[in-house]
Amino acid sequence: MPDLAVEGLVHVYSEGEVRALDTVDLHIAAGEHVALVGQNGSGKTTLVRHLNGLLRPTSGRVLIDGADAASLTVAQLAARVGLVFQDPDRQIFSGSVRGEVEFGARNVGLGTEARREAVQRALRATGLEGQEATNPYDLGGARRKLLALASVLAMETPVLVLDEPTTGQDAAGVERVREIVANAAASGRTVIAISHDMRFVAEGFERVVVMRDGRVILDGPPSVVFAAASWAELGSTYLEPPRAAVVGDRLGLGSTPTDADVVAGLGAASG
Amino acid sequence: MAGSARLSDAAPAIGRDAPDFLGRPGPSAVHRLNPLTKATLAIVTVVAAVVLGGLIGPALLVAVAVVLPALAAGVIGQLGRLTVLLALPIAVSALLINLFFFPGGTTVLFQIGPITATEEGLAFSLEILARILALSGAVTLFYLTTRPSDLVIDLERRGVSARIAFVANASVQTVPAMVERAGQITAAQRARGLDTEGSVWRRIRGILPIVGPVILGSIAEVEERTMALEARGFGRPGRRTLLWWPADSRAQSVARWALVLALVGLIVARLAGWLP
Amino acid sequence: MSIGLSGVGYRYAGETKAALLDVDLDLRDGEVLGVTGRSESGKTTLCLVVSGLAPRTIGGRIRGAVRLDGEAVDDWPMHRLSQRIGIGFQNPATQLSQVAESVFEEVAFGPMNLALPRDEVVTRTWDALAALRIDGLAERDPRRLSGGQQQLVAIAGLLALRPQHLVLDEPTAQLDPAGTRLVADAISRLAADGGSILVTEQKTDLLAATCTRVAVLDGGRVAIAGPAESVLADDRLPRLGVTEPSSVRLRRAIAAAGFDEPRIAAALADA
Repeated sequence: MPDLAVEGLVHVYSEGEVRALDTVDLHIAAGEHVALVGQNGSGKTTLVRHLNGLLRPTSGRVLIDGADAASLTVAQLAARVGLVFQDPDRQIFSGSVRGEVEFGARNVGLGTEARREAVQRALRATGLEGQEATNPYDLGGARRKLLALASVLAMETPVLVLDEPTTGQDAAGVERVREIVANAAASGRTVIAISHDMRFVAEGFERVVVMRDGRVILDGPPSVVFAAASWAELGSTYLEPPRAAVVGDRLGLGSTPTDADVVAGLGAASG
Repeated sequence: MAGSARLSDAAPAIGRDAPDFLGRPGPSAVHRLNPLTKATLAIVTVVAAVVLGGLIGPALLVAVAVVLPALAAGVIGQLGRLTVLLALPIAVSALLINLFFFPGGTTVLFQIGPITATEEGLAFSLEILARILALSGAVTLFYLTTRPSDLVIDLERRGVSARIAFVANASVQTVPAMVERAGQITAAQRARGLDTEGSVWRRIRGILPIVGPVILGSIAEVEERTMALEARGFGRPGRRTLLWWPADSRAQSVARWALVLALVGLIVARLAGWLP
Repeated sequence: MSIGLSGVGYRYAGETKAALLDVDLDLRDGEVLGVTGRSESGKTTLCLVVSGLAPRTIGGRIRGAVRLDGEAVDDWPMHRLSQRIGIGFQNPATQLSQVAESVFEEVAFGPMNLALPRDEVVTRTWDALAALRIDGLAERDPRRLSGGQQQLVAIAGLLALRPQHLVLDEPTAQLDPAGTRLVADAISRLAADGGSILVTEQKTDLLAATCTRVAVLDGGRVAIAGPAESVLADDRLPRLGVTEPSSVRLRRAIAAAGFDEPRIAAALADA
């Protein structure tokens, strides 16, 4: 399992002088679960696209297991870093769910048997088993998003990057994504998720990286990033902490990013 | 529809509350000419270039109908670059073919091995070059000095149906969005291991995963776009109100007719054999 | 003034299963009605039926009665209905006409289509921009705005037709937190000005903040309907696939652990 690092990463899009990434240094150890949060335009998407080579640094380096990603092609990097895009309708091309899920697995060279199993696992994880022959466009928008997720899951990459996986999902969909992230933890995969859902972030990730204007402004566990001391920084980029953090602070329980933390805090206070 | 359709109308006087950035005027007098006038000039130049024989005619056309207006509009640099880009391959091949292989070429200029360059060949290739310059120059000049939406709005106020005008306008405007969409799709497929940097065969196999979603996604979007348009009264039959339209003048109208008549005269003269 | 649905059912063209069944619902003047439910429970279909796009523009079969102030509107063409009911969608970019080079012209699109006198078009456009506080964007290219700004432009474009009711289908689904806040504030303001709005959302926190009444759909039927506060605290929500609002969930977790003090209730209350 590789660990990832970006060193002094700067990215300037060719059309303008705006620094989409303004010297970012980040190290993500193998198996870590990191949530990346920030407004649109903060650099989150630009950053993750460097991890699979879709974007190359204007200056700085991207290291995968210590080796410079510059020497690897996107197709090669895709076998290590699976990136799930936000809009499923900008990638679905197969006439069947199965065809769509198999695509990535085949591209990265999984053998027939391994591929079949990977596809089955991915379909099960996203609740799409039994829909192998369905036309993707006969599924609703939320399920098409899960299909896109399945198609990258089946690639069985050691690193999984999710771009806003819970957007547009109902409670059941969010629960599925949560389980997928948790299961990836169990198998030692690294997971990076871009998300606007602070509750999803606080409850499912051990580390939160907050970005603004191409820079990292906060980096730590939810208990630190959502603690009252960080609220001003969060507010500077129009982000709000989870409700549990606000309520826990009002009750004087310290930093309580999740509902469970509030309950535990109340227990500690009374006991 | 507000305003009359008489050609002698200037663009409607901007009302008391309408913002003044509507109908942004172009940077030069040529830009500010009515789109129909510019279109007429381009079409007449193109047809005349084909009809006129010899070298002097087309060369004069290039000078008067392409270069002069381009200078006045301040787009001569862009025009030059685009013309080189578009016309150069054709021009070079036409030049080479005729220089060396012109039938009826007798006066020798120079020789390279077994092939001979002739004076007659050179003369003919210059004529072809002039014609190519006139054709591509006229079209490019029109493109550089006219906004597509201006042309469409002008046609609409002259009577083209609002629906047709909308479709024409929207199609052109959607091109950048389509290109951006194709870019996003390519990125998503590459992230799933699609090889766009490998052998030619691999790249051909990669066409469906890119073209497919472009088409499918666009179709899926059409229904949503249609609904959004209908929700804003688009389906209502008949004319619609225009907030502004490009100015026109009696002088320009006269000039357009003069150009057309001149072209007709040219064609007649050619057919009657009064011209080379 | 109100929109009333009685016994309304709807089936999409080419489908065998009904997307809406036996729906009785009113959108009363001056209220914000929130509609939620799991994916494919009928939220979007409801919006399409209320606005008249179903069946006029998309075909399909409708049963029951849709009445505007008691008057049947079955034979009204879409361009007439759109002057009483405006409908917005979740994707900000697809709602742009693509033929406007400024926000002003984009918002004026509707009144222009109705062939209103030029002065009227101009006045309505300025009024709509003012209602959403986006006068400052008038000269901007709508295609270059942020998602949240584009949604406001889309809503302004609807307001320019001077409808009495607005239907917004998951308006913040594709927006970042800043954009969501922009739109949520706009909805609250329009409601405060007396507007009548139907908004569908997965984000129950947003519904809690803006709605007076909430209805929950399940399988095309109305499962629960009533005042926002009681519906959003209903314990049937998880079973219906709806994520409870953060404070409701937290309150339940605290109560389940046996804590019940007045100061907890105070801390949970919205500040």
